[in-house]
Amino acid sequence: MIGNFFDQFWSLTFGGLSLGFIYILIALGYTLVYGVLRMINFANSEIFMVGTFATVIVIRDLYKFTQSSEYATGFRLWLVLGTALIITMIISGLLSMVVELVAYRRLRRRNSGVLAPLISAIGVSMVLAESVRIMTDSRPVASPRAMEKSFIGKFFDADIRLDNTIIVIAALLLFFTLWNFINRTRLGKAIRAVSMNPSAAKLMGIDIDKIVSATFLIGGVMTGAAGFFYVLKYENTASSIGFELGIAAFTAAILGGIGNIKGAFFGGLALGLLETYASFFLGTQWKAVTVFIVLVMVLYTRPNGLFGESITQTRV
Amino acid sequence: MINIRDKGAQVWENSGRTGRVAIATLVIAVVASLPFMGGTILNTPIASYESVLVYPIAMFVLMAIGLNIVIGKSGLLDLGYVAFFAIGAYTMGLLGTKTGLNTWEILPIGIAMSMFAGLVLGVPALKLRGDYLAIITLGFGEIVRIVALNLGALGRSEGIIGIPTPPPVFGIEFSFDSHRIYYWTLLIMILLAIWMVRRLSARRAGRAWESIRQDEDVAELLGVPTFRYKIWAFVLGASVGGAAGVIYASKTLFIAPDNFTLQISILILACVVFGGMGNIWGVILGAVVLGYLPDRIRFLSEARLLVFGLVLVLMMNLRPDGLLPRKKREKAIKAKEAV
Amino acid sequence: MSTPVMSLKNVTIQFGGVKALNNVSFDINKQEILGLIGPNGAGKTTVFNVVTGVYQISSGVIDFQGKSLAGVKRYRITRGGIARTFQNIRLWGDMTSLENVVTATDTHKKSGLLSGLFGMPISRREEKRDTTRAQELLDFIGIGEYSDRLAKNLPYGVQRRLEIARALGTNPKLLLLDEPAAGFNPAEKVELANTIRKIRDAGYTVLLIEHDMSLVMQVSDRIVVLDFGEKIAEGTPSEVQEDPRVIEAYLGVQEDAS
Ligand SMILES: Nc1ncnc2c1ncn2[C@@H]1O[C@H](COP(=O)(O)OP(=O)(O)OP(=O)(O)O)[C@@H](O)[C@H]1O
Ligand SMILES: [Mg+2]
Repeated sequence: MIGNFFDQFWSLTFGGLSLGFIYILIALGYTLVYGVLRMINFANSEIFMVGTFATVIVIRDLYKFTQSSEYATGFRLWLVLGTALIITMIISGLLSMVVELVAYRRLRRRNSGVLAPLISAIGVSMVLAESVRIMTDSRPVASPRAMEKSFIGKFFDADIRLDNTIIVIAALLLFFTLWNFINRTRLGKAIRAVSMNPSAAKLMGIDIDKIVSATFLIGGVMTGAAGFFYVLKYENTASSIGFELGIAAFTAAILGGIGNIKGAFFGGLALGLLETYASFFLGTQWKAVTVFIVLVMVLYTRPNGLFGESITQTRV
Repeated sequence: MINIRDKGAQVWENSGRTGRVAIATLVIAVVASLPFMGGTILNTPIASYESVLVYPIAMFVLMAIGLNIVIGKSGLLDLGYVAFFAIGAYTMGLLGTKTGLNTWEILPIGIAMSMFAGLVLGVPALKLRGDYLAIITLGFGEIVRIVALNLGALGRSEGIIGIPTPPPVFGIEFSFDSHRIYYWTLLIMILLAIWMVRRLSARRAGRAWESIRQDEDVAELLGVPTFRYKIWAFVLGASVGGAAGVIYASKTLFIAPDNFTLQISILILACVVFGGMGNIWGVILGAVVLGYLPDRIRFLSEARLLVFGLVLVLMMNLRPDGLLPRKKREKAIKAKEAV
Repeated sequence: MSTPVMSLKNVTIQFGGVKALNNVSFDINKQEILGLIGPNGAGKTTVFNVVTGVYQISSGVIDFQGKSLAGVKRYRITRGGIARTFQNIRLWGDMTSLENVVTATDTHKKSGLLSGLFGMPISRREEKRDTTRAQELLDFIGIGEYSDRLAKNLPYGVQRRLEIARALGTNPKLLLLDEPAAGFNPAEKVELANTIRKIRDAGYTVLLIEHDMSLVMQVSDRIVVLDFGEKIAEGTPSEVQEDPRVIEAYLGVQEDAS
């Protein structure tokens, strides 16, 4: 077993890394919203799920790929992937804004504590997941293969797959774009100001509603991108996918320290690798259990994550 | 609607001891004779009225009362309530098929097992703030299902079959199609649960939970051992869920991991929220309505969970206190003064 | 004089770079009313927070009745005999006044959840005893007629007093009052001063944070003055009033110290 593990180490690692980058993007959705609202956006997982379906639909219906059609190559490949990514990001971003309007806004205005918005967000995610489940007849949906998953090189013994490479590079680009956006632009700085101290930000004349809305938009865009990469990697999706990946990505966000963008990055990577290695030893059926145990252990022993703020204490 | 609640409370508060006994007896008698009063109009497309009374209605009511201790009384959002139901059911399934124990002997074991699980989950989880608790419990509910799905001893996806029905009590036979008997069994458990909740609410535990729900930090600073009472709420809620699970397994004779999905937790949560968190009568009403209607109305049963999701969103936004909100004692007392 | 009820020795607490309390030491004696004053942000509420276990101090010692409070759980500190009110009123709004106080009296009940569930005699006896006691406390504070009203619907002044009654419900040896007269008119302040004296005469020890100088000078036996987290003076009201450092500290922020 151990010997096998070392034989496969690099190929597992590459798989884990690309999974990790998918987690990073979803975790950003959780972390950004948590930053401004101090609340877990329960519906984020379903935004991811809808994102995967958006990608499948673009590839299948817009570009009319089928299982037997030829792979796209060259410029056409980038066109297909580019439009699928952008449309997915737009749809998820908008959906995320709608979620905020429906699930949170009224309750926030009414100042109704933690429980009510939490329940209302769970309701929204239920509605999203169930609508898609009914539309897809509870069956997983396969995505036609638009690109050939060729090997583009070798690292030690492991083949480097094109799709994994695209995921890592594109996700890195997205992450750094977001990083710059948050740290450099006016809107980004306003978001940070609200995260640090909402009441002070309000006094400074920042329109909180607008910032919250923008944060959901950006979080949704990132989460949607994760949906695209997921389909690229696994070539299928299902209405239940949101729940499965959502809890893992949330764990990643906690692991790094929720509310913290850097935390989402390292947490996502760590979890992607950990999960992949653990599945190798224990079998994939225990994946969710592993993730859960990690979550409990982190919350219990190091509740602030690697970079985060305190979550057990409240101010009196 | 509001008036019914206040009127009811007023009548109750103004009645003497004998009056109360009379009212309670009358209500229990009416509820207990429900299986005879349905007729066929109340049958659902998939099941007879009598069996619907047992599952989902009575079962949901029982579980909703249990979950209400956790979420309604103490304000702790438990999204993994199904885990305790599952633990009760699997205890019944395993012991019922592998040992000679009967349902009534297994019932306390099942309750103890789920209470123990509540303790094991509660000790780490209840140190955390509300939304983290929600995620942890959500995960826990899934874990229990996944474990059942992957452990050979628990039958994997096939689950456990051939679970025995309860032995006769006072010569009354339990067979899986004698719905009435199960209904009355559940009714007794519901009454016990109501008694427990009402008793506790009026005393120290109820005040501790209430203070925790309203402002946990202040509660602790005024000497309430918050952690201990949160654990109690969790464990008592679990005990009710476990009891429901034992009876469920002993009724359906067959259980599998698919019976214990996250959806059940959300469903019970919807019952509690819809009826009115914290008010036991509201919770019962919520469970009856949400247990029955989606089964009765064909196009709803397809999209049952969708409807429950909508219920959660709409109730939180439009009527966060539910159909029958918590009683505002002030009003009742003022009314008394005015007399 | 006998040993102090509570003593702070070189207490320091740091939030990030800010020392909210810096090397603060003082004692409070039995049945004393000790005034704790200082400009806004001086660290007065922080003293309450470290004493009641909301924050752990960075260094120093807090002794209560000769025992260190370090690492003691918050609810145990309260059970041990320290109770407080909150500067920004924090009642349990959906409970009645009486329930607010009864909940605090639960601190000293011997009966727990199970004896309540099974209606054991001890539980019933304690319920009865403490309900009576809670009503007495409301009467003592002068808000007895509000006992059946929900706390959130009470007039502001009654809420402030209910905070005191609730703290007394825990049967404390040391009572911490955080600006109990905030927002009161002069007549109400006089009444409150009398109440505080009455509380002391009933055997309690009182640590009082108050911005109203005439009130605090009038009721306090001794006064401790904080500024920027440091103790700058301690003594009788007249000593403190003449202390140049105190005058300086207050001159800078005169408008706030009204
Ligand atoms: N949890 C905390 N984190 C960071 N800083 C804090 C915290 N609590 C208090 N402080 C800081 O400590 C200082 C003292 O605050 P404190 O509330 O004790 O003042 P105070 O004397 O009660 O003032 P006021 O008269 O306005 O009530 C302030 O500068 C405050 O900002
Ligand atoms: Mg203060």
